[in-house]
Amino acid sequence: MTAHSDARGDTQWPRWEVFKQDTEGSPHRAVGSVHAADAEHALLMARSVYARRPAAVSLWVAPSESVYARTAEQLQEGTVVADAPATTEPARRYLAFRKTSHRRAMTFVDFAGEVSAAGPDAAVAAARRAFPEPPALAWWVVPAAAVTASPEAEAEAWFEPAKGKTYKQQAEYGTLAAGRRRKGQTR
Amino acid sequence: MTLEPPVREALVARLTAMADDELILGHRDSEWTGHAPILEEDIALANIAQDEIGHALLWLEARRELDGSDPDALVFGRGAGDWRNVRLVELPKGDWAFTMVRQFLFDVFECELLSRLRHSRHVPLAEAAAKAAREEVFHLRHSGLWVRRLAGGTAESARRVGAAVDLAWPYLPQLLAPQPGDALLVEAGIVPSPAEVGAAAREHIATTFSELGVAPPDVPPNPGGRERHSEALVALLIDMQAVARADPAAEAW
Amino acid sequence: MAAERAGVVEDPARLEAFEARIERGEKIEPGDWMPEAYRRQLVRIISQHAHSEIVGMLPEGAWITRAPSLRRKLILIAKVQDEAGHGQYLYHAAETLGVDRGELIAALLEGRAKYSSVFNYPTLTWADVGMIGWLVDGAAIRNQLMLAQCSYGPYSRAMVRICAEETFHHKQGKEMVLTYAAGTPSQRAMAQDALERWWWPSLMMLGPHDSDSPNTPQLARWRVKTKTNDEVRQEFVDEHVPELLDAGLSVPDSDLHVDRASGHWVHGAIDWDEFWAVVRGNGPVNAERLAARRKAHEDGRWVREALAAYAARAAAATP
Repeated sequence: MTAHSDARGDTQWPRWEVFKQDTEGSPHRAVGSVHAADAEHALLMARSVYARRPAAVSLWVAPSESVYARTAEQLQEGTVVADAPATTEPARRYLAFRKTSHRRAMTFVDFAGEVSAAGPDAAVAAARRAFPEPPALAWWVVPAAAVTASPEAEAEAWFEPAKGKTYKQQAEYGTLAAGRRRKGQTR
Repeated sequence: MTLEPPVREALVARLTAMADDELILGHRDSEWTGHAPILEEDIALANIAQDEIGHALLWLEARRELDGSDPDALVFGRGAGDWRNVRLVELPKGDWAFTMVRQFLFDVFECELLSRLRHSRHVPLAEAAAKAAREEVFHLRHSGLWVRRLAGGTAESARRVGAAVDLAWPYLPQLLAPQPGDALLVEAGIVPSPAEVGAAAREHIATTFSELGVAPPDVPPNPGGRERHSEALVALLIDMQAVARADPAAEAW
Repeated sequence: MAAERAGVVEDPARLEAFEARIERGEKIEPGDWMPEAYRRQLVRIISQHAHSEIVGMLPEGAWITRAPSLRRKLILIAKVQDEAGHGQYLYHAAETLGVDRGELIAALLEGRAKYSSVFNYPTLTWADVGMIGWLVDGAAIRNQLMLAQCSYGPYSRAMVRICAEETFHHKQGKEMVLTYAAGTPSQRAMAQDALERWWWPSLMMLGPHDSDSPNTPQLARWRVKTKTNDEVRQEFVDEHVPELLDAGLSVPDSDLHVDRASGHWVHGAIDWDEFWAVVRGNGPVNAERLAARRKAHEDGRWVREALAAYAARAAAATP
């Protein structure tokens, strides 16, 4: 893994982009990334980093280097992205994600759907055709084969326990004012 | 379900032992916060620590329903001689390999215990076990991943796994052993047979270790019941209880 | 208007278009054109913020094992866990600007990177944990609410996520201090003592006076920072002083008073000599903090190597 190691052989492990689905029926959203050694590890880390508070029902991870990103500005200018992979493979499935608003938020691009294309540039073009409204401010396309999902059968074990940790929810604290406090608050 | 006094007494003791195991293990896990090998694992192990302490609370709340005892008073007021955890969990955290190996052994045992305890005739216990079992699925994935990766990583990580297994192995029998009141509790359908849980745990561990080429040492068990502890527990409790004990009149923290 | 300092002269048309986007309230995303100075400032600000979170785990982390109730134990582990998480989100934001996390960490551990001076003070009692939650996190929230409006998308998003989690830190800290201020004489004394040691560091955490902050005008223009240090500091003081006084505590500032005209609380002169000494590495526990982080990093080296080796072997084995 020399691409991710320094001169002394030390590494922070590669990066994986994380997508979280808050509820059934809502799209997976890009929430950030984790450093992990492999896909299985990345999922466990993603759950710890991004799903330690509610709500979540599913996580996807994909190596950061497998994500092909284009902003509206880049598309408008026809900027050639220096390290864009060549279009040599036969058509394959890509997952397309897009950002459609400048509104302040904690997530970036949302899952729009799947397209089939012979390369990442073609995938972006296909996604723009397939999902034209509303106009996207940024696109991510990721080969479906590069994405690993959290095990559906274990969704309860992975995501329900977070709901019980109310001591880390700010709503648990209500309005605090000076006055006597009582013992016996063990939860 | 009304309990006969001997059964209630046995259950109180059993719940205390289960809580003590979780509390001390969670405490050891929490010592890594801010010092883990990588940022993501600081976050992951902190979650596991919270889960374990949360389990301790579940068992202590179940005990409170039986005898009115206060969880905080038990945790912050008892000296080492009155704790009933196994010695495996009080051992210092060691290196990352030891922490993960110890966690793995405990997680395997817990999974086997909790999956059966969910069917306890004592409803509060069954409900608590169901909650805890959910979290254990994730714990076992995490510790299992680490033991596998470290055993098959570099020569150094494999060596450290071996050293960790050597250190932990003599303490495993105590974790799998029956406790004094178990016969009564098994008969009442409150806890599963320790022999059954122990055998399932041993098999799971043996299978994993065999796959990974990890050979546990052939050594006698570390002797003594749960009332016997090491000096490590003394140091742990002195630190853990210092603030609470410094102001016994305090009604709330 | 040509950009300065690094000697880079930015394309004026590009710069104008960039500034117009910011004016329109658009977010700048990775891949978009940006002036070199913007990128450089953001890397500096974001990485310092990330380092602060990581180092910030240590002063409170030391008290996890001593938390005096099960609830406080859970809460403190969750809080310090969040601080690791916040560092994680911030390193991620810095990485979107093309920097490597390993290099950022190396810079911190080799003493080349700055982090918030407030974490170079020792935590001497359990009440310090509460006071940090109430005052230090209270100050951080003020700052972070402002930074959530940042024009750079990844930093703004990290801030929004952090703000959502930080409120719990603030509230649990306040709950602790209010409890102790209304508790036994010993608890009250512990709370007062903690206030005396954390009040000024919290004020200083919000940065030098505006007159000593050369970066601020450009950062304001590019909507990286939309309020000045003194403005945020004033918000912090106005919020916390009345609550501290209500709790029966005494703020260690004999010049503190309300300005009749504005209604704002006015604080006494800050000892900036101490601030600069601490920022430059001569604070009470600077060396200890970095030593702890270095040890964790070194002790973890074999672990990181092991997983990398395992993954490399697995990748080689897969067709």
